[in-house]
Amino acid sequence: MSAEIKIKKGLDLPMLGAPSEEIRQLNSSGTRSVYPGEFAREKFKCLVEEGDSVIRGGVLARGKRIDGFKVRSPISGTVKEVRLGARRSLAEIVIEPNGSEEVEKFTSFTVDGLLKASKDEILSVLADTGFLGFIRQRPFSRIADPEATPKSIFVNGMASAPFRPDAHVLIQGKADDLQVGLNALTRLTDGPVHLNLAAEAKDKNDALTQAANVQVNYFSGPHPSGNTSTHIHYLDPIVPEDVVWTLRVSDVLRIGELLRTGVYPNRQRILIAGEGAKEDFRGYFDVDTGADLSEIIDPACAEGDQRVIRGDVLAGEAVDTASSGVFMYDQGFVLLPEDTERTLMGWYAPTTEQYSAHKVVPSNWIKDKLFHFGTNTRGSKRAMVLTGIYDNYTPLDLLVDPLSRACIAGETEDAIAMGILETDPEDFALCTFVCPSKTDFGSIISNTLASIEEEGI
Amino acid sequence: MIDIKKIEKNIADKHAELHEHVKSGAKFEKLYPLFEAQDTFLLTPPDTTEGMTHVRDAVDLKRVMFTVVVALIPCLLWGIFNAGHQYYHFSGIEAGMFSKIMRGTWIVMPIVFVSYLVGGLWEVLFAIVRKHEINEGFLVTGMLFPLTLPPTVPLWQVAVGISFGVVVAKEVFGGTGFNILNVALTSRAYLYFAHAKDHSGEVWAASADGATGATPLGMGASYGAQGQDVVASLADNGHTFWSMFGGLEPGSIGETSAIPIMIGAAILILTGVGSWKIIAGGCVGLLFAGLLMNFMPTSGTVDGEMVQLTTWTQIPFFYHFVMGSFLFGIVFMATDPVSAASTDLGKWIYGALIGVVTVLVRVTNPGFAEGVMLAILFMNVMAPIIDYYVVQGHIKKRNANLRKFSYAKG
Repeated sequence: MSAEIKIKKGLDLPMLGAPSEEIRQLNSSGTRSVYPGEFAREKFKCLVEEGDSVIRGGVLARGKRIDGFKVRSPISGTVKEVRLGARRSLAEIVIEPNGSEEVEKFTSFTVDGLLKASKDEILSVLADTGFLGFIRQRPFSRIADPEATPKSIFVNGMASAPFRPDAHVLIQGKADDLQVGLNALTRLTDGPVHLNLAAEAKDKNDALTQAANVQVNYFSGPHPSGNTSTHIHYLDPIVPEDVVWTLRVSDVLRIGELLRTGVYPNRQRILIAGEGAKEDFRGYFDVDTGADLSEIIDPACAEGDQRVIRGDVLAGEAVDTASSGVFMYDQGFVLLPEDTERTLMGWYAPTTEQYSAHKVVPSNWIKDKLFHFGTNTRGSKRAMVLTGIYDNYTPLDLLVDPLSRACIAGETEDAIAMGILETDPEDFALCTFVCPSKTDFGSIISNTLASIEEEGI
Repeated sequence: MIDIKKIEKNIADKHAELHEHVKSGAKFEKLYPLFEAQDTFLLTPPDTTEGMTHVRDAVDLKRVMFTVVVALIPCLLWGIFNAGHQYYHFSGIEAGMFSKIMRGTWIVMPIVFVSYLVGGLWEVLFAIVRKHEINEGFLVTGMLFPLTLPPTVPLWQVAVGISFGVVVAKEVFGGTGFNILNVALTSRAYLYFAHAKDHSGEVWAASADGATGATPLGMGASYGAQGQDVVASLADNGHTFWSMFGGLEPGSIGETSAIPIMIGAAILILTGVGSWKIIAGGCVGLLFAGLLMNFMPTSGTVDGEMVQLTTWTQIPFFYHFVMGSFLFGIVFMATDPVSAASTDLGKWIYGALIGVVTVLVRVTNPGFAEGVMLAILFMNVMAPIIDYYVVQGHIKKRNANLRKFSYAKG
């Protein structure tokens, strides 16, 4: 059984700076870091001290909330530094590699063996290795709670937002890992595992379209047709008290590699794209987990001031390459030119160079053109004035105006009734983009979701 | 060739210097809103994005608001010409096109100027005291308000009216985006009630000997009350459907002709700045109510005695379109997104009820010549309630859909 769904509402940003599909290997020579902070809402106790030696797959820290959740080292070496962040939370453990090939062995499974494994067996390996962090739970997009019973699991194999990595490139050379990972997921729920792909990729005869034991669905239409919330909404919407688990194809590959080999995976494929990257650096790279970003991103930066975005331009986080590394959860970086240029009377000049989704800007009338994008706000922040535009950019059954107002007013019960639990802040990125008053819907929604999670539903 | 880049750089440098004096903690920090207004008027701001979304659309509120002002320009130009024309017509002087335009400019521009000047002063004063930015919404209010006034209005009334609107309808609520009522219309309503004798629907009466100078709407109501055939009586005075459509008639500055208003409506709808749903809803409501009125009796019995009722109810429904300020109101006032309903369905209901209430006030209430102003203000107040019920309906529908899903799954 498979579904084909056509999404009508949304917007594809016509951005310059698309990557090639070439995959290159990058080996890092420096230290590797582990960032427990990337597992949002979990707290950690550090189990090593500076000077301790660890092997690849050795324990570095354990989680305080989720039982048996551990953070492990991607490489053999010596603990060089333990860095604490805000409120003495464990921010970073730096490891100096020593070249040793020694590895910690975990339980390994065969493709078919997994179909007979129990849920607890699989979850305990995932928690023990920290790979549980790849499984997110809706509502709230937090780390999956092993005690919860998800009614279904959603695997996202789409990239409708500009410069999210293409799942069909991510799986190249990793077809085995994909099926192992998917088989493991089928054991974690009594319901279906949905693998959601872009309709254009339907006749790509690869491991994704041929995946077994899961329900393969196809979505077409503009962004956010590739957002997980969209998939959930159309296939198995979240009713209060429901829990669903979500992953991306890159996550399934990592889980698959771990379960298939029994060795802690320490390479991952990331995408570097955007106009801020030199043209020949825009593409896919296999890199070392935990490697310094300065080693990987800096050579790719074009001249001028570039913003490095972990994630993508619609839903991502600006990072400083000097003080950060490759997170386990990373699958891509977008480099976007910092734009502080001021233009004379730009607020009414009939620009054809800056993209707009609104007909009031002449650039909107030009079809099939790719535009330069930058970090400029393109106007000043004002009170929300225009109404009714935002609903055109979400295929979810939402009224964005009243929902965001309820959130601003702190009316969490109203927000829940209007469907906020079905959403993730990334679903409102297009609303933020098109807002003439430059409202940041992402933070409005994420603040409300956080306070609902804290207070309980 | 002018070097734009160089000019931009010069201005940016000057502004950076000036910014030192108005930034927080500096001597003139209170004047920052003024600085911000002219700074971002001349040059786009250098701000960069924060939060999870790193790119933004090229549109901003300045462009949106100024588009409304642009859409009003045809009405302003027509208003200028018509004011000059009416002036000479009622003075009984033959005049050429040029004289009419010059005279019209002399009549209309001071009204616009006073509206912008006095309203602008209030806006700036509140921006400084309340520490909010000077909002572009004022560009629209400052132009809308004069266009709703009769050309004969005394300038001091323009100043008082715009002051009332900006302060009481907008700034006490927190500025543009927070107001409940349309600001220009509140100013207009204030003058209508506080200085009723100058706003009774008899525009040029003061300046002409003999000629009444009443607007067709005012005439129609009084013919109706006398039980005359309204259409025929209007035609006797030279007011046919097409003459009122064309708009070379006495009336408020911006509203007499349907043609420039329709040009403005086209600009608003094509650019997506004005909601076509409100405009369409309003037209449907007006037609429906106008048609319904035609079924009202023209005579009845009170205490067994036959009495003549107004024949005003009998005018063809399409007359309502071109009489009075309905078109101007529904295109430019009702579409103000801050005071209108914000949901899609709400906009249809909101627009339709404005149409209905306009006809009700016009026809059944002999005390008011024009209904559209009161209809819009009334619906401004009702808009949150409409939205409330639309949202409740949406939630009900959502839950029903979700339940369907959970049942289907067993």
